[in-house]
Amino acid sequence: MAPRAGQLLDLCKEALVAAGEAEVEIYAELRTRGVARFAESVLGQHMELVDPIAVVRVARGARVAEASTSRLDSGALIEAIRQAARLARVVPETDGFPGFTGEEPPGEAPPRLAPQTAACDAERRVDLLAGVFDRARAAELVAAGVLETAAIAAVCATTRGCERAHDATAASFEMWASAGANGARGYGGHAHRDVDALRIHEETERAIRIASMSRDPVALDPGAYDVVFEPPAVAEIVERFGAIAFPASAIADGTSPLAGRIGESVTRESITIADDPLDPSELGFGAPFDREGTWRRRVPLIERGIARGALYDRAHAARAGTRSTGSAAPLPRAGAIAPASLAMDGGDAAGVEELIAGVERGLYVCRMHHVDGLLDPRRAVVSGQTRDGLFLVENGRIARAAVPMRFECRVLDALARCDGMTRARAAIPVRRGRGATIVPAIRVRALRFDGLGRAALGEEAVR
Amino acid sequence: MTPRRRVVVEPRTILVWSTPMLPANVEAALRVALSHLKRLADVRYAEVRYVAEETEKLRVKDGRPERAATARTRGAGIRVLGARAWGFACSARLDEAGLVEAAESAARVARASGRLAKEPILFPERAPAAGIYATRLAIDPFLVPLEDKLRELDAPVRVLLAGGAPVRSAEAWMEFRRVHKHLFTTEGTEVEQALTYGACGMHVIAASDSGLVEKRSYPTWRGGDGFQGGYERVRELGLAARAPELRDEVVALLSAPPCPEGPRDLVLASDQVALQIHESCGHAAELDRALGEEVPRGGGSFLKPHDLGTFRYGAPIVDVVADATSDGGMGTFGWDDEGTPAAARPIVREGCFVDYLSGREGAASLGRPSTGAMRAETWNRPPLVRMTNVSLEPRGGTLDDLVADTRDGVLVCTPVAHGGISGHHVQRGFGVNDLRLHFELSCEIAWEIKRGKRTRVLRNPVYAGATPDFWRSCNAICGRDAWRLWGIEACAKGDPPQLLPVGHGAAPARFRNAVIGSSRERAGGAS
Repeated sequence: MAPRAGQLLDLCKEALVAAGEAEVEIYAELRTRGVARFAESVLGQHMELVDPIAVVRVARGARVAEASTSRLDSGALIEAIRQAARLARVVPETDGFPGFTGEEPPGEAPPRLAPQTAACDAERRVDLLAGVFDRARAAELVAAGVLETAAIAAVCATTRGCERAHDATAASFEMWASAGANGARGYGGHAHRDVDALRIHEETERAIRIASMSRDPVALDPGAYDVVFEPPAVAEIVERFGAIAFPASAIADGTSPLAGRIGESVTRESITIADDPLDPSELGFGAPFDREGTWRRRVPLIERGIARGALYDRAHAARAGTRSTGSAAPLPRAGAIAPASLAMDGGDAAGVEELIAGVERGLYVCRMHHVDGLLDPRRAVVSGQTRDGLFLVENGRIARAAVPMRFECRVLDALARCDGMTRARAAIPVRRGRGATIVPAIRVRALRFDGLGRAALGEEAVR
Repeated sequence: MTPRRRVVVEPRTILVWSTPMLPANVEAALRVALSHLKRLADVRYAEVRYVAEETEKLRVKDGRPERAATARTRGAGIRVLGARAWGFACSARLDEAGLVEAAESAARVARASGRLAKEPILFPERAPAAGIYATRLAIDPFLVPLEDKLRELDAPVRVLLAGGAPVRSAEAWMEFRRVHKHLFTTEGTEVEQALTYGACGMHVIAASDSGLVEKRSYPTWRGGDGFQGGYERVRELGLAARAPELRDEVVALLSAPPCPEGPRDLVLASDQVALQIHESCGHAAELDRALGEEVPRGGGSFLKPHDLGTFRYGAPIVDVVADATSDGGMGTFGWDDEGTPAAARPIVREGCFVDYLSGREGAASLGRPSTGAMRAETWNRPPLVRMTNVSLEPRGGTLDDLVADTRDGVLVCTPVAHGGISGHHVQRGFGVNDLRLHFELSCEIAWEIKRGKRTRVLRNPVYAGATPDFWRSCNAICGRDAWRLWGIEACAKGDPPQLLPVGHGAAPARFRNAVIGSSRERAGGAS
């Protein structure tokens, strides 16, 4: 899995010249991935995958059409350009089409490449997992999860002189320890661009610890609880909120909860959220440019509680008379706007224990799933269910495990009641291989949680 | 080897492939890669799967084309069963060197993985399969001029937009995908398939001055309107002819009362039954989920192997079959990606759970034959247990008969799936738990049923239940004339996620004393 963005860029440039079309943009990606997927402590699916794609857009005036191909050779790229050109003849004009990105001074490009990850092979992945299975067996639990190592080459080239190339690597480990297929579960996960820096042992121990603590859960009454969320749970909510709140398209059409509120106080003062794809630390995974070739930058979105800005691609920026923030959504979401790497600032708490210590009676939530941000986007109503660890907190300590619960809240109201955050943050790859959301653990006061009914009690309830 | 010109004759079509489905040089390279694997002492079984796809996506929104895009992909996936474990690799390079390299890589992965295996994998041999399967179609959608397709989409959108001020957005779309697939295995299987999928539909969004937003879709929710067939299926839908009714319904929803809370008899329209089957039966009957293999991503299943043949899944009138031979279904094929021939298999017989969707390895662990459900999304993914056409068998009568037979109930239609609509978001949610045991599903529209008559329109209906309780409460299923085969274009499963087309045949059905309510009122109570 060698870096290869330079070669890929050369190929795209050759195709642009050879095709002879005046207005063309090529965005191409080549991902080579090793994915070791395990369940029931068995490595059931171990794959070496190649995901090549090139998306070509051709403009005839303001008529724009698209063709894509998985063949990254000159002939296939030229064929895709010609196919898009044929389509461009018959589609109508795009309002305010700004043209493709041109030549620009180089942007900031923090290092994202770890040669060890690019070189990681099947033997090495197996070595890394051997201890995981042994440890789970010793704890009389079964392990499920995935270890992935990936090398990503991304390029963008246009006939206007845009030339971008970026090589990156990503390694991630996710592990669930459970007492059986449907038993108590604990989760541990970590992502890093360097496979050698993955905290596999620590996260395995964490998953085992939470699974062990999750036995014999009690059903709690619905009601308002003070809640401490671990970073994976925070990341799920921030991701869903980010998708509905920050795109300029949603703000413009009034469906964003921030529509008409830019400049206003929308959360507690301690909350700062930015799209920060250029984070140079080990938490950063973002690529330096988007699929239109726009150099990315840090975009403040909520700053000390004040709604500050929006995310733009080129078309929406042109309509609004501003410049793109490099937020054209990744493939395959043509025409959409999406954050590259949302980042929430941390607070003062030394750790999760300190947040829990400030709760008299409440909940400690390790993860969420089925998080839905589309219930009522205007009011940022988000719902979801807890998973892989829910605990009752009493008198500042974890008292016992609880059966999963459902929550529904208005995110901005919840963030207004957030009175504690850890200093340390974690990079959570909510969509693995597509960057990470960087968040601390947080504490929110008086959040409504409901039971899941008999479903939460398990299968025996219906037998 | 010389390029071949294939003629596939089906009962109502004659389709000529003007280009070879598999170029001769690629076929030769695939055979070399397979031969290479046969020579490796520690390879028990291997399959080499060539896939070439072309896709076209068109969308007209608010009177102008929003998207015109094509895509092509081709490559080969190679899965190897080593002495103790599986390995998978793939290649977009289709020359001999590229394919042999991928074959070696797959064997290496299997060898490495075997170090962690406690015991060898059970994978019973099967007799080799051979043949050609092609979708039956009358009009090749890839040969219909683009301008004609755009006109077909533009006409209904114009009708929908003529609905006056409340109508904020209207959209119509069509997508086509052709998959050429060739499977070669070390057992001697050699099968070719040419599958042509399509999807077509429209929706309209209306909003009131008070901020209420409603949507109506036809023929069903976007993503559930798929089929396997040709352009004739688009014409059969008659989008423009159905647009006025759809427009009237969405406007009516804006002044309709919310669906009242409380237990009532619930009549699901055919499309809603399809989603109900998908979420609560199809996924639950996937054997890999039941065996815990999908727990981290998709979840498990409440249907346990010891339930086979004994568990009362539904009422005695409930028969569910996984039928990979249904004409025009998105889950229809000739052979799955392990070479198991397509067949119709009962999943629930007279209410009793009798079989899983399975592949050869999983089924062998239960001492059963595969039900032929292993499919991969494309060349660079390995096959997984996937739904075929998981369908509820029809009983008798029409939807009108069913309504006439219902004293006090609600008829709900068209699932609301996840997803925002650019410019407007439709509120409401959707949820199914990990085990597929509990669900909560929302619909676009409902009608109250009083004394056997469909009366007023109700908005934002939602219903919930526990899967077996719900299906045990089923007391009527309409007949063959009301049965329709729906297609879900992109059912996600696996890691990395694979999106597969699956089908669901369904007729309207009634469930007694269901938990029904209105979704927006709950969201309004959020704190």
